Amino acid sequence: MPSKMKTCEDYRTALTDAAAAAVQPSLELRSHLDACASCRAAFAEEKQFFAAINKAVRATADAEVPVSFFPRVRARLNEQSVPQRSWIPASVAFAAAAALIVAFVFLRGHRRDGAGPNLQMNIATRNPARKTIPAALAPAVVPSRTQAAKREPNNRRLVPSGNQVERVSVLIPAGQKRAVDTLLAGLRNGALKADMLVSEHPEQPSQDLELSPLTISPIEIKPLAIMSEESAPEKEKTSR
Amino acid sequence: MQELVLIQPGRAAEKEFAQEAAQAAVRREFEERLAECGPLAYRVARGVLRNSADAEDVAQEALLRAYRRFERLRDRGRFRAWLVRIAFRLAIDRARSAKRREVRETLWSQTARRASTEDLAATSEFQEHLDRAMDELPEKRRLVLLLAAMQGHSLEEVAEMLGLPIGTVKSRLFFARKQLAEKLRCHRK
Repeated sequence: MPSKMKTCEDYRTALTDAAAAAVQPSLELRSHLDACASCRAAFAEEKQFFAAINKAVRATADAEVPVSFFPRVRARLNEQSVPQRSWIPASVAFAAAAALIVAFVFLRGHRRDGAGPNLQMNIATRNPARKTIPAALAPAVVPSRTQAAKREPNNRRLVPSGNQVERVSVLIPAGQKRAVDTLLAGLRNGALKADMLVSEHPEQPSQDLELSPLTISPIEIKPLAIMSEESAPEKEKTSR
Repeated sequence: MQELVLIQPGRAAEKEFAQEAAQAAVRREFEERLAECGPLAYRVARGVLRNSADAEDVAQEALLRAYRRFERLRDRGRFRAWLVRIAFRLAIDRARSAKRREVRETLWSQTARRASTEDLAATSEFQEHLDRAMDELPEKRRLVLLLAAMQGHSLEEVAEMLGLPIGTVKSRLFFARKQLAEKLRCHRK
């Protein structure tokens, strides 16, 4: 029988493994432990040793949380800006950035090939009126109407014809959106003209408002007197 | 010439209000997680660093990181495991940088630092040897050993926390204990 041929030394590793795993020893080992007192004692010692290790590990791992921990964490959380989910996923942002770089490279190459070294110069020579604008004040590229519309898709705009565009932001009071829409529709159709809104009406001369002074009835001022209930009638008499 | 740009203020205010409400909801949810998992983050850090002040710093940092990325976490049920990993990683990094610093520093400053810590009273000689032996454990084994020793976690809980099969947890724990035993055998009382 092979088990009978094994010595105590052969079981040493199995003993340690069983103690380390904190499991029941195998049937073979158990039968040896039943027969061998020294191995039984060694096994008990091993189990105690691993129990001491477990206890020490637990002492390290199961530390008490300091009382100051939660208040400090909350204070630091309050300092933090509240997390916000990025409305553009990282992949989309990356793709957009890549597309921009490609477009930039393409446009640069296109400029070199076709439009010449200085696009601004070409535009200026084609449109002499632009020459009068000082270089410091002139925008690099005047945005087209479609570009402007793309930039602010939620806003409605009315652009009268002309070269220079000045924007005016108008805050619509609550409940007047429909009225302003109607006005804008009229302006677009040509039923209304923008000049009518900004210039004075020729048929109606401006009238000065008449301001009458505010009439205030004279106020009778009496000295404040603290009167008891009994002395009140007497004082009234004397005052009269 | 003029271009009229019409702004609707109500929509922006509504958006802002909705955003604030959503942020408050996130904060509330995170507070719940903080109460539940905050101590675990501290203990993981403490288990690696064995210093209360350092562990508190690391646990705070882990929780802040978790808070910043909280909305990106799709499965909120995995928060505990996620936080444990963040805290453990940060603690390991801190321990490594401390070790590098210790090498640079002189011996007297090293002993002075250890003597000043509050943990000295709690450590026995055996505990110190164990701490040193734990430092030498591979990270994966060390984390399993700590989590299994912590708050009476069962092996199933540790496996769930780390997203590992139970067999892997068992084998890591077994080898961690054996490795500790080999290191500590000479210091056995």
